[in-house]
Amino acid sequence: MDWQAIWLSLRLSFWTTVILLAVGMPAAYWLTFSRRRWKFLVEAVVALPLVLPPTVLGFYILLAIGPHSPVGKVYAAVTGGMLPFSFQGLLVASVLYSLPFAVQPFAAGFLAVDRKLIEASWCLGVSRRATFFRVIVPLSVPAIVTGMILSFAHTLGEFGVVLMVGGNLAGLTRTVSIAIYDDVEALNYGTALETSLVLLGVSFVVLAATYGLRRRVWPVWPPS
Amino acid sequence: MAAELTVDIRKRFDGGPEIAAALRLPLAGPAVMVLFGPSGAGKTTVLRAIAGLETPDSGAVRCGDEVWFDGTRGFNLPPQKRRVGYLAQDYAVFPHLTVARNVAYANRNLEVHGWLARFGLSELAGRYPRQLSRGQLQKVALARALAAQPRLVLLDEPLSALDAPTRTRLRTDLRELLAGLQVPAIVVTHDRTEALALGDSIAVMIDGMLRQAGSVEAVFDHPADADVADAVGVETVCPAQVVARGEGLLTLDIAGARLVAVDIAELRHPNVFVCIRAESVTLEQAAGANPTSARNHLPARIVSVIPEGPLARVTLDCGFPLTAVVTRRSGEELHLREGERVVAVVKATSIRVVPRG
Repeated sequence: MDWQAIWLSLRLSFWTTVILLAVGMPAAYWLTFSRRRWKFLVEAVVALPLVLPPTVLGFYILLAIGPHSPVGKVYAAVTGGMLPFSFQGLLVASVLYSLPFAVQPFAAGFLAVDRKLIEASWCLGVSRRATFFRVIVPLSVPAIVTGMILSFAHTLGEFGVVLMVGGNLAGLTRTVSIAIYDDVEALNYGTALETSLVLLGVSFVVLAATYGLRRRVWPVWPPS
Repeated sequence: MAAELTVDIRKRFDGGPEIAAALRLPLAGPAVMVLFGPSGAGKTTVLRAIAGLETPDSGAVRCGDEVWFDGTRGFNLPPQKRRVGYLAQDYAVFPHLTVARNVAYANRNLEVHGWLARFGLSELAGRYPRQLSRGQLQKVALARALAAQPRLVLLDEPLSALDAPTRTRLRTDLRELLAGLQVPAIVVTHDRTEALALGDSIAVMIDGMLRQAGSVEAVFDHPADADVADAVGVETVCPAQVVARGEGLLTLDIAGARLVAVDIAELRHPNVFVCIRAESVTLEQAAGANPTSARNHLPARIVSVIPEGPLARVTLDCGFPLTAVVTRRSGEELHLREGERVVAVVKATSIRVVPRG
């Protein structure tokens, strides 16, 4: 079994989830509460990874972060390295690829928070930012956890985007799904089966946790 | 000039009527203004505009020398900076926080236990909102709003979410609480009894327009037009004092005249409003002409007789103003004319007493 690939996939999923938590919460807040007319355009862009073939998305990301792109040049100037075919490049791609899996549950959770509670907090003199952390986030915990779990699971299983952006470098960009593909190509069916089982097990546990969480009655407040 | 809240705003929602309201409220000391009107009259919108939760289309809101909203400059002070205690209709108590943490939400330096005790909430400090009754939730919301030391308190239909017996009890509680505040309050309600029980002054809104504002007695007794009269109802409303209480009856003093009414459980103070529907007043030519079961026989002078189709509206002076409605024929048989003396007969059970606290 390719433990190196499993470890790499877990690390990639973990950091993708952490970044999506930091990026996705403000994005979801903006999508939920902004009154801009062109908000629907942003919603469509965020949802694009749901419908685009991963290879198309990966191809664009590869072009966007390549050494001749503005992003690539800035990255090279700051770090001296290159984004394509690196763990960091993979991370950028994964964040974009899993964006809707975080933002959409977050936004649905924020939207479900009773507007009156938010207004009550404002009238009590509490700023919008503090209201977000003291009222909206605590009341959206199930939705936030759902978004995090989905991001984690989605990143764990990605293939096309990784192949386009990261290639297949052992310990650097060879994730579980690519390792399995390699094994099958080389007719190592036994190894492929073992690695697949691990992926299947992890995915099932993660999804079961998500659905179980949704059903659970939160002891602190009524599921309204 | 004493500081006051001045509101003069217009707002139109898609497909709705334009809401226009102009009102003033002195900011010194406790004074309760009731914003009264039927459902959908735009009362809540006005309240939300004062709280800063709604942006009017035009006009201005000022609090003392502070500008809260100025339509010409497009300026709207955020609700955080207005120091207004706003109580939404369903109280909006934070469901994920205990009573103690709800109350201390805005003011972390609050001496929570003392504060909870003031509102009779000490026992509930560790409870979550879902374990509370609606009456308790209201107290928590009030305690929370007042802990932030507001300059003005706004209450949107504070009693409408309660069942009838609780409402009657809490009405008196609320009046005492509001009267004990150091700040003025605006209470939105569509309930006449609530308006009478809670308000020092009243502003009547109908179809988005603020139609009349003044003291409770003035508006109830002299509605500006037929719509306002219709909204406030056609009753005689008079301030009165309870002078005796016993055997399930109250003896009331209204400007020297004595009335007997049925006792009410929620009475705690001698100050009350007395409401008598014009339809419940019977007129007689002389006292004791016929034996009746009615407890109240009031000698009166007729001030005016106004024909209304088959009926006649008779305004009387029995030491306090009283209105009766009789059929035209009865009016003719009794020779009801301005200046004549009659006796107004009112059953004790027809007199509604609203406690004032």
